[in-house]
Amino acid sequence: MQANGVEASSIDHKPPPSAEARGKHRILAELKRLDQEARFLEEELEELGRTDTVSAALQELLLRVESRPDPLLPVTNGPANPSWDRWFEGPQDLHGCKCWIL
Amino acid sequence: MSVAELKERHIAATANVNALRERLKQRRQELLDTDVAGYAKSHGKTAIGFGSTDLVCCRTLQGHTGKVYSLDWTPERNRIVSASQDGRLIVWNALTSQKTHAIKLHCAWVMTCAFAPNGQSVACGGLDSACSIFNLNSQVDRDGNIPISRVLTGHKGYVSSCQFVPDQETRLITGSGDQTCVLWDVTTGQRISVFGGEFPSGHTADVFSVSINSSNSNMFVSGSCDATARLWDTRIASRAVRTYHGHEGDVNAVKFFPDGQRFGTGSDDGTCRLFDMRTGHQLQIYSQQLDNNDNEVPTVTSIAFSISGRLLFAGYSNGNCYVWDTLVAEVVLNLGALQNSHEGRISCLGLSADGSALCTGSWDKNLKIWAFGGHRRVI
Repeated sequence: MQANGVEASSIDHKPPPSAEARGKHRILAELKRLDQEARFLEEELEELGRTDTVSAALQELLLRVESRPDPLLPVTNGPANPSWDRWFEGPQDLHGCKCWIL
Repeated sequence: MSVAELKERHIAATANVNALRERLKQRRQELLDTDVAGYAKSHGKTAIGFGSTDLVCCRTLQGHTGKVYSLDWTPERNRIVSASQDGRLIVWNALTSQKTHAIKLHCAWVMTCAFAPNGQSVACGGLDSACSIFNLNSQVDRDGNIPISRVLTGHKGYVSSCQFVPDQETRLITGSGDQTCVLWDVTTGQRISVFGGEFPSGHTADVFSVSINSSNSNMFVSGSCDATARLWDTRIASRAVRTYHGHEGDVNAVKFFPDGQRFGTGSDDGTCRLFDMRTGHQLQIYSQQLDNNDNEVPTVTSIAFSISGRLLFAGYSNGNCYVWDTLVAEVVLNLGALQNSHEGRISCLGLSADGSALCTGSWDKNLKIWAFGGHRRVI
Protein backbone atom coordinates (compact mmCIF):
# COMPACT_ATOMS: atom_id res chain seq x y z
CA MET A 1 0.00 0.00 0.00
CA GLN A 2 1.28 3.42 -0.86
CA ALA A 3 0.41 6.75 0.64
CA ASN A 4 1.39 9.96 -1.10
CA GLY A 5 3.82 8.04 -3.28
CA VAL A 6 5.76 6.71 -0.29
CA GLU A 7 6.12 3.04 0.43
CA ALA A 8 4.08 2.07 3.49
CA SER A 9 6.96 0.11 4.93
CA SER A 10 9.03 3.28 5.09
CA ILE A 11 6.42 5.09 7.17
CA ASP A 12 7.69 3.79 10.44
CA HIS A 13 6.91 5.59 13.72
CA LYS A 14 9.68 3.81 15.52
CA PRO A 15 12.89 5.95 15.52
CA PRO A 16 15.88 4.40 13.81
CA PRO A 17 18.22 2.60 16.22
CA SER A 18 20.92 5.33 16.15
CA ALA A 19 18.42 8.06 17.05
CA GLU A 20 17.11 5.94 19.94
CA ALA A 21 20.64 5.42 21.23
CA ARG A 22 21.28 9.15 21.09
CA GLY A 23 18.03 9.81 22.99
CA LYS A 24 19.03 7.31 25.71
CA HIS A 25 22.46 8.84 25.94
CA ARG A 26 20.97 12.31 26.42
CA ILE A 27 18.59 11.16 29.13
CA LEU A 28 21.36 9.25 30.91
CA ALA A 29 23.59 12.33 30.89
CA GLU A 30 20.75 14.43 32.23
CA LEU A 31 20.03 11.81 34.93
CA LYS A 32 23.66 11.88 35.98
CA ARG A 33 23.48 15.68 36.25
CA LEU A 34 20.29 15.50 38.33
CA ASP A 35 21.76 12.88 40.65
CA GLN A 36 24.81 15.04 41.20
CA GLU A 37 22.66 18.10 41.85
CA ALA A 38 20.60 16.13 44.37
CA ARG A 39 23.83 15.16 46.19
CA PHE A 40 24.97 18.80 46.28
CA LEU A 41 21.57 19.88 47.63
CA GLU A 42 21.65 17.20 50.32
CA GLU A 43 25.13 18.33 51.36
CA GLU A 44 23.90 21.91 51.53
CA LEU A 45 20.90 20.88 53.65
CA GLU A 46 23.20 19.09 56.04
CA GLU A 47 25.49 22.12 56.24
CA LEU A 48 22.49 24.38 56.83
CA GLY A 49 21.61 22.27 59.83
CA ARG A 50 24.86 23.46 61.40
CA THR A 51 24.50 27.10 60.31
CA ASP A 52 23.68 30.02 62.60
CA THR A 53 20.72 32.33 62.13
CA VAL A 54 21.16 35.64 60.28
CA SER A 55 21.28 37.69 63.48
CA ALA A 56 24.34 35.81 64.75
CA ALA A 57 26.64 37.56 62.26
CA LEU A 58 25.11 41.03 62.27
CA GLN A 59 26.79 42.47 65.36
CA GLU A 60 30.14 41.87 63.73
CA LEU A 61 28.90 43.42 60.47
CA LEU A 62 27.78 46.61 62.22
CA LEU A 63 31.08 46.92 64.08
CA ARG A 64 33.15 46.49 60.94
CA VAL A 65 31.12 49.00 58.94
CA GLU A 66 31.07 51.68 61.62
CA SER A 67 34.73 51.42 62.51
CA ARG A 68 36.23 51.86 59.04
CA PRO A 69 37.09 55.44 57.97
CA ASP A 70 34.96 56.40 54.96
CA PRO A 71 35.64 59.63 53.01
CA LEU A 72 32.13 59.75 51.53
CA LEU A 73 30.34 59.90 54.88
CA PRO A 74 29.50 63.19 56.63
CA VAL A 75 30.47 61.61 59.95
CA THR A 76 33.19 59.00 60.01
CA ASN A 77 35.76 57.35 62.22
CA GLY A 78 39.29 58.61 61.82
CA PRO A 79 41.96 58.89 60.89
CA ALA A 80 41.07 61.11 57.97
CA ASN A 81 43.48 61.33 55.09
CA PRO A 82 44.14 64.82 53.66
CA SER A 83 44.27 63.37 50.15
CA TRP A 84 40.57 62.56 50.40
CA ASP A 85 39.91 66.20 49.51
CA ARG A 86 42.24 66.35 46.51
CA TRP A 87 39.17 66.49 44.26
CA PHE A 88 38.50 70.02 45.49
CA GLU A 89 42.03 71.36 45.53
CA GLY A 90 43.78 73.48 42.96
CA PRO A 91 42.26 74.74 39.76
CA GLN A 92 39.28 72.61 39.04
CA ASP A 93 38.64 72.12 35.39
CA LEU A 94 35.14 70.84 35.92
CA HIS A 95 34.65 70.03 32.26
CA GLY A 96 38.29 69.28 31.50
CA CYS A 97 39.53 68.19 28.16
CA LYS A 98 36.61 68.13 25.76
CA CYS A 99 38.37 66.88 22.70
CA TRP A 100 36.42 64.23 20.88
CA ILE A 101 38.18 61.02 20.05
CA LEU A 102 37.32 60.26 16.43
CA MET B 1 16.69 0.03 30.29
CA SER B 2 14.22 1.36 27.72
CA VAL B 3 13.79 5.01 26.83
CA ALA B 4 10.38 4.99 28.49
CA GLU B 5 11.86 3.67 31.74
CA LEU B 6 14.66 6.20 31.60
CA LYS B 7 12.15 8.97 31.11
CA GLU B 8 10.28 7.82 34.20
CA ARG B 9 13.50 7.85 36.18
CA HIS B 10 14.15 11.36 34.86
CA ILE B 11 10.75 12.55 36.06
CA ALA B 12 11.39 11.06 39.50
CA ALA B 13 14.89 12.56 39.72
CA THR B 14 13.56 15.99 38.74
CA ALA B 15 10.85 15.76 41.39
CA ASN B 16 13.47 14.77 43.97
CA VAL B 17 15.68 17.76 43.10
CA ASN B 18 12.71 20.13 43.25
CA ALA B 19 11.67 18.75 46.64
CA LEU B 20 15.21 19.18 47.97
CA ARG B 21 15.33 22.76 46.69
CA GLU B 22 12.03 23.49 48.45
CA ARG B 23 13.29 21.99 51.71
CA LEU B 24 16.47 24.06 51.43
CA LYS B 25 14.44 27.20 50.81
CA GLN B 26 12.23 26.53 53.85
CA ARG B 27 15.16 25.72 56.10
CA ARG B 28 16.86 28.94 55.06
CA GLN B 29 13.68 30.88 55.75
CA GLU B 30 13.64 29.48 59.29
CA LEU B 31 17.13 30.88 59.86
CA LEU B 32 16.12 34.35 58.63
CA ASP B 33 15.19 35.65 62.09
CA THR B 34 15.92 39.24 61.09
CA ASP B 35 17.61 41.29 58.41
CA VAL B 36 20.33 43.94 58.59
CA ALA B 37 17.85 46.84 58.83
CA GLY B 38 15.77 45.15 61.51
CA TYR B 39 18.84 44.44 63.58
CA ALA B 40 20.46 47.86 63.03
CA LYS B 41 17.29 49.82 63.84
CA SER B 42 16.70 47.77 66.97
CA HIS B 43 20.18 48.83 68.03
CA GLY B 44 19.41 52.50 67.55
CA LYS B 45 20.97 53.04 64.13
CA THR B 46 19.47 55.82 62.03
CA ALA B 47 19.92 56.75 58.40
CA ILE B 48 22.93 58.79 57.26
CA GLY B 49 21.89 62.42 56.74
CA PHE B 50 23.36 64.04 53.65
CA GLY B 51 23.15 67.78 53.10
CA SER B 52 22.13 68.88 49.62
CA THR B 53 25.70 69.84 48.73
CA ASP B 54 27.57 67.04 50.46
CA LEU B 55 28.07 64.66 47.54
CA VAL B 56 28.85 66.70 44.48
CA CYS B 57 29.86 66.10 40.91
CA CYS B 58 33.38 67.50 40.79
CA ARG B 59 34.47 66.31 37.32
CA THR B 60 32.78 65.49 34.04
CA LEU B 61 34.92 63.39 31.72
CA GLN B 62 33.91 64.07 28.13
CA GLY B 63 35.30 62.45 25.03
CA HIS B 64 33.40 59.29 24.22
CA THR B 65 31.06 59.61 21.26
CA GLY B 66 28.85 56.72 22.31
CA LYS B 67 27.25 55.25 25.41
CA VAL B 68 29.66 54.39 28.19
CA TYR B 69 29.29 50.72 29.12
CA SER B 70 32.03 49.99 31.63
CA LEU B 71 34.71 51.60 33.76
CA ASP B 72 37.47 50.58 36.16
CA TRP B 73 39.84 52.49 38.44
CA THR B 74 43.52 51.76 38.91
CA PRO B 75 44.60 50.56 42.34
CA GLU B 76 46.83 53.64 42.59
CA ARG B 77 43.96 56.05 42.93
CA ASN B 78 43.48 58.50 40.10
CA ARG B 79 43.24 56.78 36.72
CA ILE B 80 40.21 55.28 35.08
CA VAL B 81 39.69 53.20 31.96
CA SER B 82 36.30 53.38 30.25
CA ALA B 83 34.72 51.40 27.40
CA SER B 84 32.10 52.76 25.08
CA GLN B 85 29.72 51.98 22.27
CA ASP B 86 32.01 54.17 20.13
CA GLY B 87 34.37 51.20 20.01
CA ARG B 88 37.08 52.77 22.12
CA LEU B 89 38.75 52.53 25.46
CA ILE B 90 39.82 55.81 27.01
CA VAL B 91 42.26 56.07 29.90
CA TRP B 92 41.68 59.16 32.02
CA ASN B 93 43.50 60.95 34.77
CA ALA B 94 40.39 61.60 36.82
CA LEU B 95 42.06 64.31 38.91
CA THR B 96 43.04 66.46 35.92
CA SER B 97 40.27 65.21 33.57
CA GLN B 98 42.93 64.61 30.92
CA LYS B 99 42.83 61.67 28.54
CA THR B 100 46.12 59.80 28.57
CA HIS B 101 45.23 57.04 26.07
CA ALA B 102 42.53 56.43 23.50
CA ILE B 103 42.47 52.89 22.13
CA LYS B 104 40.49 52.06 19.01
CA LEU B 105 39.27 48.49 19.29
CA HIS B 106 39.21 45.89 16.52
CA CYS B 107 35.76 44.88 17.63
CA ALA B 108 33.65 47.93 18.38
CA TRP B 109 31.09 45.96 20.40
CA VAL B 110 32.82 46.21 23.73
CA MET B 111 30.97 45.45 26.99
CA THR B 112 33.59 45.45 29.71
CA CYS B 113 37.02 46.80 30.63
CA ALA B 114 39.47 46.46 33.49
CA PHE B 115 42.78 47.85 34.72
CA ALA B 116 45.65 45.53 35.62
CA PRO B 117 46.88 45.77 39.23
CA ASN B 118 50.09 47.53 38.17
CA GLY B 119 48.15 50.06 36.08
CA GLN B 120 50.29 49.30 33.01
CA SER B 121 47.73 47.25 31.07
CA VAL B 122 44.03 47.28 30.36
CA ALA B 123 41.71 44.49 29.28
CA CYS B 124 38.41 44.57 27.45
CA GLY B 125 35.88 42.16 26.04
CA GLY B 126 32.57 42.08 24.24
CA LEU B 127 30.67 40.54 21.36
CA ASP B 128 33.85 39.20 19.76
CA SER B 129 33.79 36.55 22.55
CA ALA B 130 37.39 37.39 23.36
CA CYS B 131 39.27 39.42 25.94
CA SER B 132 41.94 41.76 24.52
CA ILE B 133 44.88 43.01 26.56
CA PHE B 134 46.68 46.28 25.78
CA ASN B 135 49.98 47.40 27.30
CA LEU B 136 49.72 51.16 27.80
CA ASN B 137 53.49 51.55 27.44
CA SER B 138 53.54 49.98 23.98
CA GLN B 139 54.69 51.99 21.04
CA VAL B 140 51.78 53.00 18.89
CA ASP B 141 51.47 51.60 15.38
CA ARG B 142 51.42 53.53 12.09
CA ASP B 143 47.82 54.58 12.66
CA GLY B 144 48.59 55.87 16.13
CA ASN B 145 46.86 52.93 17.81
CA ILE B 146 48.16 50.88 20.71
CA PRO B 147 48.58 47.33 19.41
CA ILE B 148 46.96 44.38 21.15
CA SER B 149 49.51 42.54 23.29
CA ARG B 150 47.39 39.44 23.89
CA VAL B 151 43.97 38.06 22.93
CA LEU B 152 42.30 35.57 25.22
CA THR B 153 40.15 33.34 23.05
CA GLY B 154 38.06 30.34 24.02
CA HIS B 155 34.70 31.65 25.19
CA LYS B 156 31.78 30.51 23.04
CA GLY B 157 29.76 33.61 23.79
CA TYR B 158 30.18 37.32 24.45
CA VAL B 159 32.48 38.48 27.24
CA SER B 160 30.27 40.51 29.58
CA SER B 161 32.70 41.17 32.42
CA CYS B 162 36.36 40.93 33.27
CA GLN B 163 38.56 41.63 36.26
CA PHE B 164 42.26 41.14 36.94
CA VAL B 165 43.03 39.08 40.03
CA PRO B 166 44.14 41.78 42.51
CA ASP B 167 47.45 40.42 43.74
CA GLN B 168 48.40 38.56 40.58
CA GLU B 169 49.42 40.66 37.61
CA THR B 170 49.10 37.79 35.20
CA ARG B 171 45.67 36.43 35.97
CA LEU B 172 42.27 37.60 34.91
CA ILE B 173 38.72 36.30 35.29
CA THR B 174 36.02 36.72 32.66
CA GLY B 175 32.27 36.14 32.68
CA SER B 176 30.50 35.20 29.47
CA GLY B 177 27.26 34.74 27.60
CA ASP B 178 28.32 31.09 27.18
CA GLN B 179 27.31 30.61 30.88
CA THR B 180 30.85 30.10 32.10
CA CYS B 181 33.55 32.06 33.88
CA VAL B 182 37.19 31.52 33.00
CA LEU B 183 40.45 32.12 34.85
CA TRP B 184 43.18 33.08 32.36
CA ASP B 185 46.94 33.31 32.38
CA VAL B 186 47.43 36.60 30.58
CA THR B 187 51.10 36.01 29.74
CA THR B 188 50.43 32.76 27.87
CA GLY B 189 46.84 33.40 26.83
CA GLN B 190 45.85 30.00 28.21
CA ARG B 191 42.71 29.12 30.13
CA ILE B 192 43.72 27.93 33.59
CA SER B 193 40.21 26.92 34.68
CA VAL B 194 36.64 26.99 33.38
CA PHE B 195 33.86 27.48 35.94
CA GLY B 196 30.53 26.02 34.91
CA GLY B 197 29.69 24.80 31.43
CA GLU B 198 29.86 21.03 31.28
CA PHE B 199 30.42 20.77 35.01
CA PRO B 200 27.32 20.64 37.21
CA SER B 201 26.47 23.55 39.55
CA GLY B 202 27.44 26.06 36.87
CA HIS B 203 25.19 28.87 35.75
CA THR B 204 22.33 27.86 33.49
CA ALA B 205 22.19 31.17 31.61
CA ASP B 206 24.47 34.02 30.54
CA VAL B 207 26.92 35.36 33.10
CA PHE B 208 26.70 39.14 33.32
CA SER B 209 29.07 40.09 36.09
CA VAL B 210 32.01 38.89 38.17
CA SER B 211 33.63 40.24 41.33
CA ILE B 212 36.81 38.97 42.96
CA ASN B 213 37.17 38.99 46.74
CA SER B 214 39.94 41.47 47.55
CA SER B 215 40.43 39.86 50.98
CA ASN B 216 40.86 36.39 49.49
CA SER B 217 41.57 36.47 45.79
CA ASN B 218 40.95 32.73 45.45
CA MET B 219 37.24 33.47 45.74
CA PHE B 220 35.03 35.22 43.26
CA VAL B 221 31.32 35.59 42.72
CA SER B 222 29.40 35.64 39.44
CA GLY B 223 25.93 36.96 38.59
CA SER B 224 23.76 35.54 35.83
CA CYS B 225 20.58 35.73 33.83
CA ASP B 226 19.57 32.54 35.68
CA ALA B 227 18.69 34.85 38.59
CA THR B 228 21.40 33.47 40.85
CA ALA B 229 24.79 34.48 42.06
CA ARG B 230 27.42 31.76 42.53
CA LEU B 231 30.57 31.66 44.59
CA TRP B 232 33.65 30.00 43.10
CA ASP B 233 37.01 28.93 44.46
CA THR B 234 39.57 29.33 41.67
CA ARG B 235 41.35 26.22 42.95
CA ILE B 236 38.23 24.07 42.51
CA ALA B 237 36.65 24.54 39.10
CA SER B 238 34.54 21.40 39.23
CA ARG B 239 31.71 22.89 41.24
CA ALA B 240 30.43 26.17 42.61
CA VAL B 241 31.05 26.58 46.34
CA ARG B 242 27.54 27.96 46.83
CA THR B 243 24.55 29.20 44.85
CA TYR B 244 22.60 32.21 46.12
CA HIS B 245 18.90 32.30 45.31
CA GLY B 246 16.44 35.12 45.93
CA HIS B 247 16.38 37.41 42.94
CA GLU B 248 13.43 37.18 40.58
CA GLY B 249 15.24 38.37 37.49
CA ASP B 250 18.64 38.53 35.81
CA VAL B 251 21.48 39.39 38.16
CA ASN B 252 23.21 42.19 36.28
CA ALA B 253 25.78 43.21 38.86
CA VAL B 254 27.72 41.60 41.70
CA LYS B 255 30.25 43.30 43.96
CA PHE B 256 32.04 42.08 47.06
CA PHE B 257 31.44 43.99 50.27
CA PRO B 258 34.64 45.71 51.49
CA ASP B 259 35.21 43.20 54.33
CA GLY B 260 35.18 40.29 51.89
CA GLN B 261 32.65 38.37 53.98
CA ARG B 262 29.56 39.46 52.06
CA PHE B 263 28.63 40.60 48.60
CA GLY B 264 25.96 42.70 46.95
CA THR B 265 23.89 42.02 43.85
CA GLY B 266 21.74 44.13 41.52
CA SER B 267 19.01 42.69 39.35
CA ASP B 268 16.38 43.12 36.65
CA ASP B 269 13.84 42.61 39.46
CA GLY B 270 14.67 46.15 40.57
CA THR B 271 16.28 45.16 43.86
CA CYS B 272 19.75 44.99 45.29
CA ARG B 273 20.53 42.32 47.86
CA LEU B 274 23.24 41.62 50.38
CA PHE B 275 24.31 38.00 50.85
CA ASP B 276 26.56 36.41 53.45
CA MET B 277 29.27 34.56 51.53
CA ARG B 278 29.93 31.86 54.10
CA THR B 279 26.41 30.96 55.24
CA GLY B 280 24.53 31.78 52.04
CA HIS B 281 21.96 33.86 53.95
CA GLN B 282 20.24 36.74 52.22
CA LEU B 283 20.93 39.49 54.78
CA GLN B 284 19.00 42.36 53.24
CA ILE B 285 16.88 43.42 50.28
CA TYR B 286 17.21 47.01 49.03
CA SER B 287 13.98 47.71 47.24
CA GLN B 288 12.04 50.79 46.26
CA GLN B 289 8.26 50.84 46.45
CA LEU B 290 6.44 50.52 43.14
CA ASP B 291 4.87 53.76 42.04
CA ASN B 292 1.10 54.10 41.95
CA ASN B 293 0.96 53.97 38.19
CA ASP B 294 2.47 50.49 38.27
CA ASN B 295 5.02 51.45 35.70
CA GLU B 296 7.66 48.92 34.89
CA VAL B 297 10.15 48.56 37.74
CA PRO B 298 13.49 50.11 36.79
CA THR B 299 16.22 47.50 36.66
CA VAL B 300 19.49 47.75 38.55
CA THR B 301 22.36 48.10 36.09
CA SER B 302 25.38 48.47 38.37
CA ILE B 303 26.40 48.64 42.03
CA ALA B 304 29.34 49.67 44.20
CA PHE B 305 29.96 49.91 47.95
CA SER B 306 31.67 52.78 49.72
CA ILE B 307 34.92 51.79 51.38
CA SER B 308 33.32 51.08 54.77
CA GLY B 309 30.32 49.37 53.22
CA ARG B 310 27.93 51.87 54.81
CA LEU B 311 26.80 53.16 51.43
CA LEU B 312 25.58 51.15 48.45
CA PHE B 313 25.52 53.02 45.16
CA ALA B 314 23.07 51.56 42.64
CA GLY B 315 22.51 52.69 39.07
CA TYR B 316 19.07 52.06 37.57
CA SER B 317 17.73 51.88 34.03
CA ASN B 318 15.61 55.03 34.54
CA GLY B 319 18.64 57.22 35.20
CA ASN B 320 18.43 57.17 38.98
CA CYS B 321 21.49 56.46 41.04
CA TYR B 322 20.34 55.71 44.55
CA VAL B 323 22.66 55.91 47.50
CA TRP B 324 21.43 53.30 49.99
CA ASP B 325 22.35 53.33 53.67
CA THR B 326 23.16 49.61 53.82
CA LEU B 327 22.54 49.29 57.56
CA VAL B 328 19.01 50.72 57.66
CA ALA B 329 18.09 49.93 54.04
CA GLU B 330 16.94 53.44 53.18
CA VAL B 331 17.73 55.62 50.18
CA VAL B 332 19.61 58.63 51.54
CA LEU B 333 20.38 60.37 48.25
CA ASN B 334 19.65 60.11 44.53
CA LEU B 335 22.68 61.20 42.50
CA GLY B 336 20.50 61.07 39.41
CA ALA B 337 18.41 63.94 40.74
CA LEU B 338 21.31 66.16 41.76
CA GLN B 339 22.45 69.21 39.91
CA ASN B 340 24.89 68.48 37.14
CA SER B 341 23.97 64.80 37.02
CA HIS B 342 23.86 62.51 34.01
CA GLU B 343 21.22 62.87 31.34
CA GLY B 344 20.85 59.19 30.71
CA ARG B 345 20.99 55.75 32.27
CA ILE B 346 23.95 55.10 34.56
CA SER B 347 25.45 51.88 33.21
CA CYS B 348 28.51 51.47 35.40
CA LEU B 349 29.91 52.63 38.72
CA GLY B 350 33.17 52.31 40.59
CA LEU B 351 34.88 53.61 43.71
CA SER B 352 38.44 54.89 43.68
CA ALA B 353 40.89 52.71 45.60
CA ASP B 354 40.94 55.04 48.62
CA GLY B 355 37.15 55.39 48.58
CA SER B 356 37.28 59.17 48.20
CA ALA B 357 35.50 59.32 44.86
CA LEU B 358 32.79 57.53 42.93
CA CYS B 359 32.89 57.43 39.14
CA THR B 360 29.68 56.92 37.20
CA GLY B 361 29.47 56.11 33.49
CA SER B 362 26.35 56.77 31.48
CA TRP B 363 24.51 56.30 28.22
CA ASP B 364 24.81 60.12 27.92
CA LYS B 365 28.44 59.39 26.79
CA ASN B 366 30.02 60.98 29.86
CA LEU B 367 31.70 59.86 33.03
CA LYS B 368 31.33 61.84 36.22
CA ILE B 369 33.35 61.93 39.42
CA TRP B 370 31.52 62.44 42.71
CA ALA B 371 33.19 63.25 46.02
CA PHE B 372 32.26 64.56 49.46
CA GLY B 373 32.44 68.33 49.38
CA GLY B 374 30.61 69.18 52.58
CA HIS B 375 31.78 69.52 56.15
CA ARG B 376 33.12 66.19 57.34
CA ARG B 377 33.10 65.35 61.04
CA VAL B 378 35.83 62.90 62.02
CA ILE B 379 35.31 61.13 65.33
